[in-house]
This record gives sequence, C-alpha cells and structure tokens, in this order.
Amino acid sequence: MARLRYADAITSALREEMLADDRVFIAGEEVGQYLGTLGVTSGFLKEFGPMRVVDTPISEVGILGLGIGSAMAGLRPVCEMMRMDFAMVAYDQVINHAAKIRYMFGGQFKVPMVIRGPSGVGRQLSAQHSQSLEVLFAHVPGLKVVMPATPADMKGLLKTAMRDDNPVIVMEALRLYFEKPDVLDAILPGLSEVPDDPDFTVPFGKANVLRASTDVTLIGYSAMTIQCLKAANIMAQEGISAEVVDLRTLLPLDMATPIASIKKTHRAVVVQEQWGLYGCAAEISAQIAERAFYDLDAPVQRVTGAFVPMPFARNLENISFPSEHDIVIAAKRTLGR
Amino acid sequence: MAKKPTLDLTKYVRFYEQMVYIREFEELIGKEWNNAAAHGMGGYMHLYSGEEAIAVGLIGGMDLSAGDCFIGHYRDHGYALAAGSDPGEVMAEICGKATGCSKGKGGSMHICDAARGFYGGYGIVGGNVPIALGLGWALKYRNQKNVCACFFGDGSMNQGAFHETLNMAQLYKVPVIFALENNGYAMGTSIERSHANQDLRSRVDSFAMRSVTINGQDIFEVHEQMAQIIQEMKEDPHPVFVEFKTYRYHGHGAADTPVTQSTYRTRDEVARAKEEKDPIKFAQTKLIELGVLTDEMITDIQARAYASAEAAMKFSDDSPYPDPSELIKDVYA
Repeated sequence: MARLRYADAITSALREEMLADDRVFIAGEEVGQYLGTLGVTSGFLKEFGPMRVVDTPISEVGILGLGIGSAMAGLRPVCEMMRMDFAMVAYDQVINHAAKIRYMFGGQFKVPMVIRGPSGVGRQLSAQHSQSLEVLFAHVPGLKVVMPATPADMKGLLKTAMRDDNPVIVMEALRLYFEKPDVLDAILPGLSEVPDDPDFTVPFGKANVLRASTDVTLIGYSAMTIQCLKAANIMAQEGISAEVVDLRTLLPLDMATPIASIKKTHRAVVVQEQWGLYGCAAEISAQIAERAFYDLDAPVQRVTGAFVPMPFARNLENISFPSEHDIVIAAKRTLGR
Repeated sequence: MAKKPTLDLTKYVRFYEQMVYIREFEELIGKEWNNAAAHGMGGYMHLYSGEEAIAVGLIGGMDLSAGDCFIGHYRDHGYALAAGSDPGEVMAEICGKATGCSKGKGGSMHICDAARGFYGGYGIVGGNVPIALGLGWALKYRNQKNVCACFFGDGSMNQGAFHETLNMAQLYKVPVIFALENNGYAMGTSIERSHANQDLRSRVDSFAMRSVTINGQDIFEVHEQMAQIIQEMKEDPHPVFVEFKTYRYHGHGAADTPVTQSTYRTRDEVARAKEEKDPIKFAQTKLIELGVLTDEMITDIQARAYASAEAAMKFSDDSPYPDPSELIKDVYA
C-alpha cells in the first residue's frame, strides 16, 4: 500500500498501462518534452519515445481525431486535454463522432479511447479554465464519464478506463491533484492509500460508501466527495452521524448504493461542484424521488455551485462552489435542525 | 528515363463496369425516391452520380485486403460499392433494414464495411477528416506499408477541423490521402461564395504538404496518378492532398429539389456537365477507341448493373426492419 497524491496516482496508472500494453499511447499538448503541464507524464517521453508520447499542436480537434481514428484501428489512445474546458473546442469529435460510431455503424467498430484532463475549480483560473462540465458528457449515450475523488480511485478508475473498449471521459479534480497524503489522511484515515498491485483496478458503475453511518446520506463525486467527508467530520463533532457515498462514475451511474444508504438514513444531500440547473444533482434527486420517495423523511437537498461564470478574485471563487459548511447546513435542514 | 507503363486495359473495363454499377444503383434510388416510404427510405439521400471515377479509381488503387483503408462522408454509397461491399447490404442500410451493413441504424449517410477497410460515412461536414489522421497514425504506429484515403468535399475545407488535421498530418508524416471531391458546391453555396481563395489546392500550400490536382471525371488519370502516389506513400510514408475536380448531377440531397437547386445552378449547367464531363461516357469512348469495349459489352454491362441494383432493392424490400430490441443494442462495446 502506497500513500500517493492524486496526481501521482494518474502517473502511476498511465505508466503501468503503457508498460502492460504497447497499443497504448498518449497524445496532447506539452505531454512530452515539456514533461506535462502538471507533470503527470514527466519522464514518459524518454521512457516510451515519441510514437507513444505524442506532443501535439494546440489543436484539440486534431488530438481527438487522432484518438478516435487510431482507436477504431485498434490502438488504445489516451488524449490529454490540458484543461477539460478545452475539450469544448473539439466537442463535435466527442459528441458527434466518438459517442456515435459504435451505434450508427451497427456495432462494426469500437472506439477504445480515454479523454482525460484536469477539471473544476480551485486555482484562481477564472471563467475559461475552472469549469466542471461533466454534465455535457454524462448526458450523451455512448460515452462513459469517470470522476474520481481519491488517489486509489483515480488510479483504479483510470486503469479501468484505459482497458475499456469505449470512449471514456476521465475528469480529474484539479483541486485534489497536489493534496498531500497527510492532508487527505487527516480527513479520513487511509484516504491517500493506493494498492501496489499493478492489476488493481476499480470497476465502473459501483459507488463507494467511504463513511458508513445512520443519520443522513451525503452523495458526492470528485472533489465534492472530499467536501462531503469534511462536512461529515464537522457534523460528527455535533453528534450527527453522516454517511458519505462517492458516486465514482456518472456514466454508468450506480443508484443502487445511494438508494440503499437512503433506505437506512431516510435523508439525502446531493452535492456537485457545477451549476445546479439541469445538473447531476437534479438527475440523482429525481431518481431518488422515483425509487425511494417513501423512504425519505425530508425533501432531498441539493448543494451546487453558483450559477455564474467562475470569477477570478479569490474571495469570490471561494464562495462560488459548495463548501463543507454549505453541506452541513443542507444536512441539518433534512434533520430539522 | 523509365518507360511509360502500358495501361492494364482489363482493369479499366472492370472500373468502367464498377462505375456503371454505381450509377445504376444511385439512379434506381433516385427513381424509387418517389416511393421512398414503401422501401423504408427517408431522411436525406445524397447521390454520387457524376463523381464515380474518383471512388472507383482511387479505391481501385488501394489494397484493401492487405490493410489499406478509407473513410468517407455522407455521399457514401459509391465508396462501399467501389470497395466491393455487398450491394444488397448497402441498399438495405439505405432503407433502414436489419440486414443493412449498419443494421439499419445508420442509414444512407452511415454506410461502412470494416472487413473492407471502410471506416464509414459521416454526416458532419469535415468531421471525418480528423479521424483519418488517427487511421493514418495507426498505420504508421504499426509500421504498416499501407495508406488511408479520406474523402471530403469542398465544404469541408472551410471547417477548422480540416486545417488542424492537415497541419498535424504533415507534421507527423502520416500516410493519408486527403481526397477533395471538389464538385463546386457545398450544398447550395458555390466555391465563389464560400472560399476567399478559390484555388483550393493552393490553400494547403501553407502546410507544406505534397498536393496534386486531378481531373476527377477521367478514370484513367485518377487511377494512374493515384496508383503511383500510393506506391510512393508506401515506400515513404507521407500525406498527400489531392484535388479531384468533379461535378454532382443530383441535388445535394433529396431535399435539394429542382426548385432549391435553381437558387444556385441552372439546368443548363447540369445538362452540360452530363454531356461534356460524364466519367462513364468518357471511359466508354476511350475504351472503345482502345478496342477493349464493344457495344455488345456495353449493353451487357448496363443490363447486369441494372439487374444488380434491382436485386439489391429486392433484397432490401424482402428484409425485415430491425427488431425493436435493437433500439438499445450497440450503444457500448
């Protein structure tokens, strides 16, 4: 068991899969000679060479086309988006092509590719570099959408993504990239631990109960799962015991785990980083209403980001997305407190 | 100096026959469009008549069984037929039948044939071009002595995807033939109204890519030039941009009626193109001159081509629509 940072888990997954399968290659901006914008592919160019670590121009459409075509032809590309916001430049390749190819050609082709990159708020990158756009992908059949919260899940889910035969969007929480293991373990003991076994993977579509309890269910994913854990710690000091369910993947979406939790706690708070309107929390709340309405003792609460483009000023940025305190307030509302 | 190779005339008779087969296939669809719903046809219908020499001459220059491949756009029936796909399966796809090459889920715009290296027809103008970069990359990655052809129209050249792709293709020296079918119109918008620089081939000079212009109505020129270029690409992998000058006889799609067509071209212009630039007539005249095609053969080929198209339509008509259970299949691998 190693104690890793989230970013180290990305590196570890990429490197292990590249060593295990020579069909795997990485393409993206500054992934090679520059050693990776955030360093996750540092040393890869030297180790694997320029055919497997491909420095590209700033051409997201070209990068994803390179990925889709080579995947159809049997390679297993990993396309890095320097920021997931930049994938919007090439949204057509993802939505109209990668997601459609298997179905519209009657199953004749596979598109085993990964599109990965940092996503979300947290480093004063303002409106065009801080978005959490998972809904735009999770809405589309043909894609899979992965949102890891912990270093172990980051590694295990990325490896599963790289072995999957479909286009998989792996959205990595920039806020968590360089969080130190000590900081993570202080939030929940063992949170930074990652199994050493190179065959360790985490399956898609299986939510994880990170903290079992009885009073209220906090449902989150990616960086918001960490916020939920922090909120649970605060509530524990006030005698409220919160269960934390980490969804791990939005597509496929495991609702059985959160529903089972709600049947126990009878209260649910759904937390997401991005805009609430038409968001993931809305979908999850609707499914809870459809499947567990009579188990609820209080209306489901959503905690979501402010409906604004991300501001630059640190104080504004800090109040733009859910804090642990926002989650505590929502949880208490379900408890009538 | 190398001796000019003599033409393999048997091959050209075969190409002539393939062009006639495609023409009859497309014209039958055009004719049956009046009765579209009964056959299961719907949506758009982009016919290839007038442009046959490009698909036949270029695909005929590739070795599909040895790993050469190609990708197209939505005017894609002719590519499949040129590659030897089963006409019945192509027609069944066009009619949304379970026996279609894409199980009836793609339709006219999304014909494909993985076994023959046809990576499909795509409906987003220019969207298939970046994918060709990846197909070419895979060939280079595996050190295959193969090429990939990417068909697109003049409209695609005004998409950003085209320019990103050509830059990267040249940067990485991938063995991709960027085959521009310049038929003069992007739907109803002429070159003059959509390209600031109307010398389309010169637009790729900025990528330092090898390029050539070919008369797309002349099967001999298409094939001889492409066969030579393909051979050179296999010896030394690199991309090539080819501008095929051509003309489309039908409207952009079925929705582009004679009335809408009158907004951008005259009936005279179409009639003149059919008279002066027809690839089948051109090949026919030359093959007769060369003494390898006779009136009897022409009549026979014509009859067989028509019968083949009719048989394809019958196969489709006799085929069932997809089972409702197919709705949710093949979303994921």
